Amino acid sequence: MNSVWPLVITLGYVAITMVIGLKARAGHRMDTLEQWGVAGRSMGPVTLYLLIAAGSVSAYTFMGAPGWAYSKGVAVFYVAIYLAYLALVAWYFGPKVWQFGEQFGHVTQASAIADRYQSPALGALAALVMAVGSIAYAVLQTVGSAYILFVMSGGAIPVWLGVIIVLGCIAVYLYISGQRAIGRTNAFQGALMLVVAWAVGLWAVHSATGGLDMGAVFERIQTDHAEFLTLPGARGDMSFSFWTTSIIVSMFSFMPPVWTQWMCASSARTIRRSATWLPTYYIVILPMVVVGFIGIYSLPDLARADTVVLEYAMANLPVVLVGLLGAGTLAASMSSSEPFIHSVALSTTKDVLQPLFKLSDAFTAKLARWLLLPVMALVIAPLAIAEPGSLVMILLVGLGFASQVLPAFIGMFFWPRASKLGVMAGIVAGFLVTVAFTTLWSHPLGIHAGFWGLMLNLPVFIGVSLMTPATQADVVERFFRISAPRGFKHLGKSVS
Amino acid sequence: MRRLFVLPTSRAGWGLLAAFICLVVAGTWPVIGLLNRAMLVLGIPLMILWSYAIIFACVGVMLLGNRIVERDDHE
Repeated sequence: MNSVWPLVITLGYVAITMVIGLKARAGHRMDTLEQWGVAGRSMGPVTLYLLIAAGSVSAYTFMGAPGWAYSKGVAVFYVAIYLAYLALVAWYFGPKVWQFGEQFGHVTQASAIADRYQSPALGALAALVMAVGSIAYAVLQTVGSAYILFVMSGGAIPVWLGVIIVLGCIAVYLYISGQRAIGRTNAFQGALMLVVAWAVGLWAVHSATGGLDMGAVFERIQTDHAEFLTLPGARGDMSFSFWTTSIIVSMFSFMPPVWTQWMCASSARTIRRSATWLPTYYIVILPMVVVGFIGIYSLPDLARADTVVLEYAMANLPVVLVGLLGAGTLAASMSSSEPFIHSVALSTTKDVLQPLFKLSDAFTAKLARWLLLPVMALVIAPLAIAEPGSLVMILLVGLGFASQVLPAFIGMFFWPRASKLGVMAGIVAGFLVTVAFTTLWSHPLGIHAGFWGLMLNLPVFIGVSLMTPATQADVVERFFRISAPRGFKHLGKSVS
Repeated sequence: MRRLFVLPTSRAGWGLLAAFICLVVAGTWPVIGLLNRAMLVLGIPLMILWSYAIIFACVGVMLLGNRIVERDDHE
């Protein structure tokens, strides 16, 4: 690719994002965690919709998902289904989490856990282990961003420089505008991704078939490669059990940045309104996946499946569209990495350092902003440049932990009797199983490792909770006045 | 408060819970096994069409849920 336009367009996107991120502060003082952490709980439904949508649609949508379509077929749609289920989760839990935050002053997920179980140690444990998964996720997204700059510049911007450019931009606007920058930039990135995905997808269909009917692509796949249209997919590795358990485990993985985003809403009703329409955003996946299907017969010998859209675009699409694809893919990876980076700095300071060193609220707020810089410069940047082979494994283990925190939420929303020790025992048991079934014996019987973890985690959690003291009644009542505002049902009888 | 578990307290709430469960069942095995065919409907593979049917059904159920929640006037 000899044209300079793809790089100009991609860097233009970076510049616009910078301006939006810096202006997002809009005169607000960022010296409290209420402002820097959760944007003063001020976001309206449209911003929140795009914030959550863009945050959940990572570089995976532009690279990984078409790559899955290219190598496995329709199996990729388990992602679209679990994302829709995550909207149901946001619809039910989001307003309650918002009320916890508003009434009890929480700004992070781990703060809510520490408060419900009256255990700063449990909160710190959750914050630290979630940080491992969050950092691995942010590193992978940063690697994706740097790769896009490398491709769009025709190799002139090496990966190490791309990492510095991307992290440098994010660091500046996150430091200055905090969660407000994430909200505004994600809104821009979310809209950009939707437009770019459909523009690239429809152009690719036109170049492959001569028309705009995606049916022509699928007819060809049905005739020549029908195995791509069913499970277990072309490689035979997406069984019904793996599809089902992957969806269930992903659905119950309450990631910390999403929790914080719920608390950014201007009201509980705002979250419900945003969550209601959230699944509509996932039409962004379809055109990208169609390009993956086109690649099955037009680029049959790709070395890396996740480059299928880029390779196809560079060979068949006009340079302006290639540039927009670069910008869209960069938007996808930046919009996903920045909430995770922000969440790591926020939660580590609030839930680990503040209780450990008895820091004041004002100093904690200042420290959280500064902590961004070492997190990015000393952890994320070196890992992204070195790209260690174990990174994906770290991510899987981190995500495995996320699903194992489920008991903490059961005790917050459904079961007042849940105890601190029950939650800890369940998490430890589930986490050990998940790690073993991720690293030593991968997904036995085709069932997701996290699902195996939950099968041990939940009985241990219930058993230990029943054998150990419950959290003091006034704390439990405080939480359940929000979780169950109309009282409880026990054996069909109403109890208030 | 011992041994209590939060469950819906109205008929509408139970209906909504049932709808949520139906949506999850629709996207997982065994239902997904029934639709696992290499056929096209309206030019789109059946599995993709079903995935988007679930996605838009989620929107429909949440819209219904909003009406129930706002009618009952509680968050």
